[in-house]
Amino acid sequence: MNDTPQAAISCQNVWQVFGPNADSALSEALSVHSEPEAAAAALREKGLIPAVQDANFEVAEGELFVIMGLSGSGKSTLIRCISHLLHATHGEIRIDGENIVEATPDRLIELRRKKLGMVFQHFGLFPHMSVIDNVAYPLRVQGVKRKAHLEKAQKVIELVGLAGRETHHPRELSGGQRQRVGIARSLVTDCSVWFLDEPFSALDPLIRRQLQDEFLQIQAELKTTIVFITHDINEALKLADRIAIMRDGKVVQIGTPSDIILNPVDDYVREFSKDVAKGRHAHVASVMEPGEGHVYGADDPGLRVDMTLDAALARCMDLYEPVPVRAEDGTLLGVVNPADLAAALHVEAG
Amino acid sequence: MAGLSKGSLAALVALIVGALCLLLETTLPWLVKFPEALVVPATDWVGAAMTWLLQLIKPIARGFSALMSYPMEATNLILGSSPWILVIAVVTAIGWMLGGVSMALMAVVGLGFVLASGYWAESMNTLSLVAVSVPLALIVGGGIGVLANEYPRFRKPVQAMLDIMQTVPTFAYLTPLLVLFGFGPVVGLIASAIYAAPPMARNVLLGLERIEPEIKEAAIMAGGTRLQQLFQVEIPSAATQILVGVNQCLMAALSMVIIAAVIGGFDDIGWEVLLTMRKAQFGPALMAGLVIVVFAVIIDRMSGTLAQDNRKRYDARVAWGILAVGVIASAVTWNSLPNPSEYSAFDGAVDAVDAGLSAFTTANWQWLAAVKNNVLYFGLLPLRIGLDEAVLPFTWGFQWTAQWSLGLFAVGAVAGLILALRGQVTWGIMTLIFVGMLETGITNLPWPFVLVGVAALGWVASGRGLAVLSVGLLLTILLSGLWDRAMLSLYLSGAAVFACAIAGGGIGLLCAESPMAWRITRPICDMLQTIPLFVFLIPVLMVFQIGEFSAFLAIIAYAIVPMIRYSRHGLTETPDEMIEAAIASGATTWQILRDVRAPYAAPTILLGLNQTILYAFAMLVIAALIGTTGLGQLIYLALGQADVGLGISAGAAMAILALIADRMVQGFAEERRKVLGL
Repeated sequence: MNDTPQAAISCQNVWQVFGPNADSALSEALSVHSEPEAAAAALREKGLIPAVQDANFEVAEGELFVIMGLSGSGKSTLIRCISHLLHATHGEIRIDGENIVEATPDRLIELRRKKLGMVFQHFGLFPHMSVIDNVAYPLRVQGVKRKAHLEKAQKVIELVGLAGRETHHPRELSGGQRQRVGIARSLVTDCSVWFLDEPFSALDPLIRRQLQDEFLQIQAELKTTIVFITHDINEALKLADRIAIMRDGKVVQIGTPSDIILNPVDDYVREFSKDVAKGRHAHVASVMEPGEGHVYGADDPGLRVDMTLDAALARCMDLYEPVPVRAEDGTLLGVVNPADLAAALHVEAG
Repeated sequence: MAGLSKGSLAALVALIVGALCLLLETTLPWLVKFPEALVVPATDWVGAAMTWLLQLIKPIARGFSALMSYPMEATNLILGSSPWILVIAVVTAIGWMLGGVSMALMAVVGLGFVLASGYWAESMNTLSLVAVSVPLALIVGGGIGVLANEYPRFRKPVQAMLDIMQTVPTFAYLTPLLVLFGFGPVVGLIASAIYAAPPMARNVLLGLERIEPEIKEAAIMAGGTRLQQLFQVEIPSAATQILVGVNQCLMAALSMVIIAAVIGGFDDIGWEVLLTMRKAQFGPALMAGLVIVVFAVIIDRMSGTLAQDNRKRYDARVAWGILAVGVIASAVTWNSLPNPSEYSAFDGAVDAVDAGLSAFTTANWQWLAAVKNNVLYFGLLPLRIGLDEAVLPFTWGFQWTAQWSLGLFAVGAVAGLILALRGQVTWGIMTLIFVGMLETGITNLPWPFVLVGVAALGWVASGRGLAVLSVGLLLTILLSGLWDRAMLSLYLSGAAVFACAIAGGGIGLLCAESPMAWRITRPICDMLQTIPLFVFLIPVLMVFQIGEFSAFLAIIAYAIVPMIRYSRHGLTETPDEMIEAAIASGATTWQILRDVRAPYAAPTILLGLNQTILYAFAMLVIAALIGTTGLGQLIYLALGQADVGLGISAGAAMAILALIADRMVQGFAEERRKVLGL
């Protein structure tokens, strides 16, 4: 089709419209209006809901692609279009070159058994099955022999750190453990495309951080192509290779984490990055000015363009001697090393 | 008109129409009594059409009937000829598996009572009918539920059909079935399967709809085929709700099998009750009734444990042990046991009850008659035929005259005006309407007023659609000549519902306030809800004989339960935060109840009222057995004469009344819920 290596996932002009006779209403709107904006407005006028409007992007093989937006922005709908839990109203969605919008029901079952895995926000565990039966279910529906599927399930359960809880039922597990089961179940078939719909949003912050770290480890090992949904900008920045930001059904910006932070396309995206500790995501290059006409001293902290702002600040602070801290009446209470001040501002080293 | 709210406007229109009718009723008598000439012989038409249809499918039905007689006779043979020791052992073993020692004990004691009462053979006949009809109902109901879930297009029609089936009175099924299947136990079997299938279908559909969407999506993403998703994931996930359906299905089947005894032809326990009741042998009737209650309780409690989450598992070895003991004991005593029908441990007690009861009624007849007559003369009768006809010298001590009417209207007008001036315009107009209705009596209400009033209520409750539907349905009753009967039914059920609302609401409030009261009331409510409809007739008949008052009491006893339950539930579910906020604002207990808890509970209490209305209609038909004069009596008569047209028309009229009442109360509840943002 083209020269660049084939993308693992490619979405072209994907629309998802809810409401009566969505199909015909959308094709009518698209034939009248060339601009997606105008078509969406026409649909809204008729009382239909364009939940995803003209989404276009590609995800490379092994890439961790995060879709971020507030609730109601259409991100969950979009991932359901790509995993074909919803039939996209319009557009092309190719997974390894195959347009799944037009796949037959049998082919879809085949794809889900071999290629796709999905993790859900509220886990979607089967309440009547034990942990190991939950994890093994995707193998069971394929007719894999019980002994073989339990063996495989056991391996994945160990991978997600749930060994010893195989016979528990979901209701006996904590939220974090439940999501580990959800992750294990989605991995048991060695999927090559992995969908995660806000997998950590329902967890408390400490567990969330722990699972994020483990998720990155698993990903480093498996190198699957991932579409990951979140509403948390910090989570997106921490995990993503690239981020797509959605608002009101539209993809408003796609870029690397530092693109998003430093070059927001509009106020909506800027609003997101407000709460972010920029020092950890932006680099010296982004604040560097041309060198001509400046006078600088002999001290050289050794900055490089690809250092984060936090690291650069720490280097600069290193140049200072410790400074005094006094009481109201001027008596000396102690000293502070400026380098420690800079370090204390880091949320987390590195 | 601009300043009037929707409710006031509707009430005003009804008032004007009512007043016009009252003024014109002497000159235009057809306003009160619908002209005979306009009545369409709809009953005959329905009869002819149904007879034709029934004749058409009769061969199939008879074939099915013949087919069903095999499993029925087989279970009958098995249950009937098994030694009772074995039957008790099997039930006890099942009881152990379901609920441990307490259930096993309940089975032994309950069945022991049945055995000792001498009604063992009849009970086994009843049980075998239930045993065949329940699987039938489970398969049909479950199938309907699953299909309605698979094909969303059918959900609405299926829901509507289930709603209608819930409102069609039980006796009304029986007449066409009687024509189709002929006399015999198969009619009871089919009727109970038809009656028991809807709760199953409803719960299966509800359970499947309530599964978390992500669970269904997970099954899809696992690559399951549709059948795998359904049977491996969705149905097991919905198991709790489906088992609730099984429980309701069992109870409905038992209830209907007993009701179906009125067509006779099968020597079961319901027939026994009916027979003894007709002979006024209240001791034996009570005993047979108790046997039914025992069965109902055992079946309900045992199947109820199935639907509990996380129920405990019990050691199967104990169950096998119980079974083994049963088998050995049966083998040892084979042929040496007397016929269970000869047990009569309670005959003495039964005779004593009979004698005691006669003694009690003769000793207290004055007092009992006073209660009955007071309620009749000062409550039911004025409501039925109006104060202007009910107030007579020999009941009230004076004669009602036109002056009295004028005086009553004047008082009503003053009260209405005061209310209106205080801002309660709707209630002011309603007061006047109520006064008018009291003066006229429900059965003497001019039909244009009823139609307009119902339309107004429907419009306020949920909009134009309901108003049109209600009037349309009522017109069919009017045109088919069943109007007078329908008004009689409306009056009696209305009076009973009113009494239930006052008493049940009060008890509900008491139970909400005092946990102690609820601890006492709750088992009584559980018991009243478990008892099959039929049994309610026995005690009222024993004390008050045949008549409208007995029917009134039976309806109240049955229909009051939901009112109590829902009122209590509604009043106790107010969020703590709201009560804390009220306390923090300095509200007294009474103010909290009036301003916070009661409004918050209103939608729930309205749902309770809705249930109470449906229960009252259901009981109204059964109460025809002990003397009511409305549609219930027609349905019962039609059954005796195998008159399909009359049975179906009267049944439909009853269903229409229930349906309209149901929709209206639901409409009001929905509106309250919206106002509260629930």
